[in-house]
Amino acid sequence: MTESTIPSPSEESAQHRCDSSRASSAWSIMRPVGSQIGYAMGLSVASALLGLLCMGLLALTVKALLEQPGTWPWELMVGVLACTVATYMMRLGAFNQAHYAAFRLERILRMRLSDRLARVSMGYVQAQGAGALTKVIHDDVRSLHVFVADSTPLYARAYITPIATFCVLVWLDWRLALGALGVLVLGFGILSLALRRRGEMVRLYNDARERVSSAIVEFVQAMPVVRTFDTGHSTFGRYQQALAAYLAVLTRWYRESGFAARFSWVVLSPMPTLLVVLWLGSWLTWHGDLDPVRWLAVLLLCTGMAEAVMPMMMLRHMVDKVKLSIARIQDVMAAPYPPVPSRETEQLPREASVRFEDVSFRYTPADDEALSRVSFDVAPGTITALVGPSGAGKSTVAKLILRFWDVSSGRILVGGVNVRHMTSDTLMQQVAFVFQDTFLFSDSVADNIRLGTPDADMDSLIAAAKAAQAHDFIMALPDGYDTRVGERGVFLSGGQRQRITIARAILQNRPILVLDEATAFADPENEAALVDALSRLMRDKTVIMVAHRLATIRDADQILVFDRGHLVEGGKHDALVKQDGTYARLWQNYETAQNWSLGQTSRHTIITQEA
Amino acid sequence: MSHGSATSRRRPPTPWLTTYRQLLVSVGPDAPSLRRSLIGLLLAAAAQGFALACIVPLLSALLSRRDFAEALYWLVACSALVVASLVLRWRAQSFDFDGRMAASTHRLRIQLGEQLRRMPLETLQSRRTGELNSMVLNNVDENLAHTLTIINLIFIALVTPLCTALALLAVDWRMALALLLIFPAIVPLYRWRRPALGRGKRILGEAHQQANADVLEYTQGLPVLRAACQAGAKAERLTSTFVHLETIQAIGHRKGAKPNILVATVVEVGLLIMLGLGVVWVLDGSLDLAVLAALFVIVARLSEPLSTFILYTAILELIESALERIGALLAISPLAQRQPEEQPTSYDIHFDDVSFQYAQGNVPAVREFSAHLPPRSLTALVGPSGSGKTTLTRLLLRQADPQSGSIRIGGVDIRHIPTARLHDLISVVFQDVYLFDDTVMANIRMGRPDASDAEVRRAAQAAQCLGFIERLPQGWQTRIGDIGGCLSGGEKQRLSIARALLKDAPIVILDEPTAALDSESEVAVQRAIDTLVSDKTVVVIAHRLSTIVGADQILVLEDGHLAENGRHAELMETEGRYQRMWRAQQRVKCWHVAAVRSNDDEPQPRGVA
Repeated sequence: MTESTIPSPSEESAQHRCDSSRASSAWSIMRPVGSQIGYAMGLSVASALLGLLCMGLLALTVKALLEQPGTWPWELMVGVLACTVATYMMRLGAFNQAHYAAFRLERILRMRLSDRLARVSMGYVQAQGAGALTKVIHDDVRSLHVFVADSTPLYARAYITPIATFCVLVWLDWRLALGALGVLVLGFGILSLALRRRGEMVRLYNDARERVSSAIVEFVQAMPVVRTFDTGHSTFGRYQQALAAYLAVLTRWYRESGFAARFSWVVLSPMPTLLVVLWLGSWLTWHGDLDPVRWLAVLLLCTGMAEAVMPMMMLRHMVDKVKLSIARIQDVMAAPYPPVPSRETEQLPREASVRFEDVSFRYTPADDEALSRVSFDVAPGTITALVGPSGAGKSTVAKLILRFWDVSSGRILVGGVNVRHMTSDTLMQQVAFVFQDTFLFSDSVADNIRLGTPDADMDSLIAAAKAAQAHDFIMALPDGYDTRVGERGVFLSGGQRQRITIARAILQNRPILVLDEATAFADPENEAALVDALSRLMRDKTVIMVAHRLATIRDADQILVFDRGHLVEGGKHDALVKQDGTYARLWQNYETAQNWSLGQTSRHTIITQEA
Repeated sequence: MSHGSATSRRRPPTPWLTTYRQLLVSVGPDAPSLRRSLIGLLLAAAAQGFALACIVPLLSALLSRRDFAEALYWLVACSALVVASLVLRWRAQSFDFDGRMAASTHRLRIQLGEQLRRMPLETLQSRRTGELNSMVLNNVDENLAHTLTIINLIFIALVTPLCTALALLAVDWRMALALLLIFPAIVPLYRWRRPALGRGKRILGEAHQQANADVLEYTQGLPVLRAACQAGAKAERLTSTFVHLETIQAIGHRKGAKPNILVATVVEVGLLIMLGLGVVWVLDGSLDLAVLAALFVIVARLSEPLSTFILYTAILELIESALERIGALLAISPLAQRQPEEQPTSYDIHFDDVSFQYAQGNVPAVREFSAHLPPRSLTALVGPSGSGKTTLTRLLLRQADPQSGSIRIGGVDIRHIPTARLHDLISVVFQDVYLFDDTVMANIRMGRPDASDAEVRRAAQAAQCLGFIERLPQGWQTRIGDIGGCLSGGEKQRLSIARALLKDAPIVILDEPTAALDSESEVAVQRAIDTLVSDKTVVVIAHRLSTIVGADQILVLEDGHLAENGRHAELMETEGRYQRMWRAQQRVKCWHVAAVRSNDDEPQPRGVA
């Protein structure tokens, strides 16, 4: 590489938390393909040394022509050819090996990460968010490429070539060697000036850049909403401010380190070194104090030192950029597993009951308790409703049964066995969960229903679909059960998707059912079918349901009322209404909301004073 | 494979001249200074080439003729050229270092942002475009920041050897010609390589897209997969996607490397042949050995840039495609403001035979729809999802213009109403509330930026917000970003209603504002809505029919056209769609868990399978 890029600030992306301690661990990410990378770096060093040899042979060719005029320097010319070819082949080999290693590393890391996510607590997955985790598994792993594939061979060259070159130069002529070294030292001296406050600038730069990114996301995403208010004036203002702050940081960086950076790059470009060696050599030759062949060899080799170092300076930016990604990957890899017993030591649940014993739970040690000392019993085959205002802890209870998290104190028993004493497969075989947000995979309808019971035959699959009121609309799809969901316009309505997930749960036929009742069904005409499907699913099961429409659970065997993490009331509907407590208030609210209709109460009596 | 995609794949590479013009346009007023910089870089590369050529007479004077005076002359000439080259390059790079490039991309981003505010919302609507726009805005500077650096590298790789060769013509025309011959050899190779590179990139891009989609599906579906015991090593599809990606990457690498190898080989072999010829001519006495030695030095300097310049052209392509995307974005024209500008004075709404089809849709979303919404009336739009309810409200907000028919407010075609004025006329309460990372006060004040604190407070009170705002850690000054997760759906909805109340527009659109709330929040939101809609022309999209029984008219939509219309009581008398929907909802309302057990006498405790 002749002239290297200016240290353009936009190449820099390392964050302050990636200090030198992270630098060593950046290399550890390559461990799974360590030997192949080592091989690539070895090839790279060999090619660099062969390149030096090639230059030496060229000088010797001139020497031969000078000393034995009229004789063909065959051996040397073949040597030059062989060296050129070998240099090139090895460089290519290093490049290829590093790339294949990088691709392999990507696959290995992606598999390890997705496997890790299958074992960590579900709470961790939810806290990180699917989007962020996808970014780690796909984008962050992908961004390793420039570090692993492109830079490792260059790294090896950058460290070995200058040293080897300098040794050869000293052997050829120490005066010229010192001249070349002087230029190099001057260049690096000035460069270190440029880099003096780099850490702080990188931090400022990254912060400003991050603000720009989030301003852009807000600006673009909120456009439909803000246009109806002030034609997007306020978000545009924030966007402008973020850009202005970014420009200020960038300008300051150029002003403060620009001169030193530019000057050092000028000095380190090959021409000044060549010029110094030309002047020195001419002067020495004039005084008859220099062998022309040695001078020629030095002229051929002297630029190699700076040339090998320049890519390393560029690599610094590349590696800095990747460090953030590496840190994120390592964070996910370090996420702890909840302790799970082995298949041999686990205890098997005896029946389909659920029991909370004095359970307290907080999401993180810093948070308030999401549940405080909650105890209740759910007998096999009964229906229990969890009700309460939003944020009361209903959904937390539902998720703790599935061990999304481990409780802070107390214990949860499923079938008389602590959930911590079961393997995750055993627990999952016991409990079916119908989620509020339905999730279908872009797979065939049949595979979506069969998920979790891969051995189910087609008859039982269709029976489940029929029970879930899904058979008719599935048969109306272009390829029936083989229709792929979400492809070529096969989009299902929310209600249809829900019925497919219910069919899935019917087919799984697990003794305990946890339902997070959907607050709003997608389209009104499908609601009736959905309700039939749910009824069929709940038959003969132990049901624990989070309920919003209180009318549906009036005759549940047990209603548990939560408020701010506490179990405040429990019992049957009639008794609870009479108690005139939280439930009675919820019930009253519910009835009011049900009877509301736009344009009846309000339009003629304007209400403005309501606390 | 369709014909269209086949031709688009063979798109010829953008001529460099086009890219150059786009580049100059993108920096706006700095164009002359950028042009000067580029010329400076070109001259610097040329001066460097001539400086290298000086080595030939220098060595031949010094080593063959021992003529020190002449050697000194060439040494000074060489130094002067090197200095000239460095100075020219230094000045040219001032475009980067004086911050002019940064200022240009800053201006460009502001310009793109303004364009985004002007372009029709429908074009902006799809998520895909949203992401694309974010990408363009975010990457403008990254893409353009390297422009000068890359162009400099390419000049050094091509212009410098060219100038060296031209200067050598004066010394030894045979050697100069041999050097010049390498150029016609690599230029066709370069042209041949570019489409291949594009193809490989596309296939790799698709594989990555697939992997990304599969990973997203995996992480999103993880709760379900784990509940089904199908996560981790058992996720076979995911594993096979990763393996497939690795295979594609390896193939792409092999294919992509081939042209690079070929170009580098041509360069290296060409230079070796040239040196071999030099040896031949030295042996037959027609070439000075010192000249050959000098050529060795020159060739050693030129070979690396020449054989690797093709790698930089890949970065040049990134710049090219960024410039193209910027150009495409800037080319979208806003919806035309029809003349003369008019202002409505009353607020009834007419839809006149309106038909509309989305650009990416294959059937019309609204067909021949006509309706009249009298001033201060309440009109409900009902119908299954996809029947065109939301599209109608979008057309009313002029996010797009209908292909035929017209919409009038107070008798004025909305295409004659200035955009800002139209937005002043209409308040919208969406199902999904968008709150900004700003204070509670500022979020409400968005409705009317010049409102006083007292007015903001009054609106918040009327929207049932006072209670929870006062409980927030910093009250009115609490930043939403810090507490976003702590506000319930109902509380957020009430903030958005306060915004709309403050705005006090004569027309209100409600897009299922209570659909996603639990009943406790619902009561408060309902009260807030009651305040908002009084005395306004109201359009409401409703799924729960019980909420709109009091509407002045109910428009029942089906596949984009008006199926039925009338008041609740009238619609219930005809046996139509509305009546069916109503009956189904009533049945659901009566459902309760006892229904589950109606067939069974006794709950059956079940053992473990």
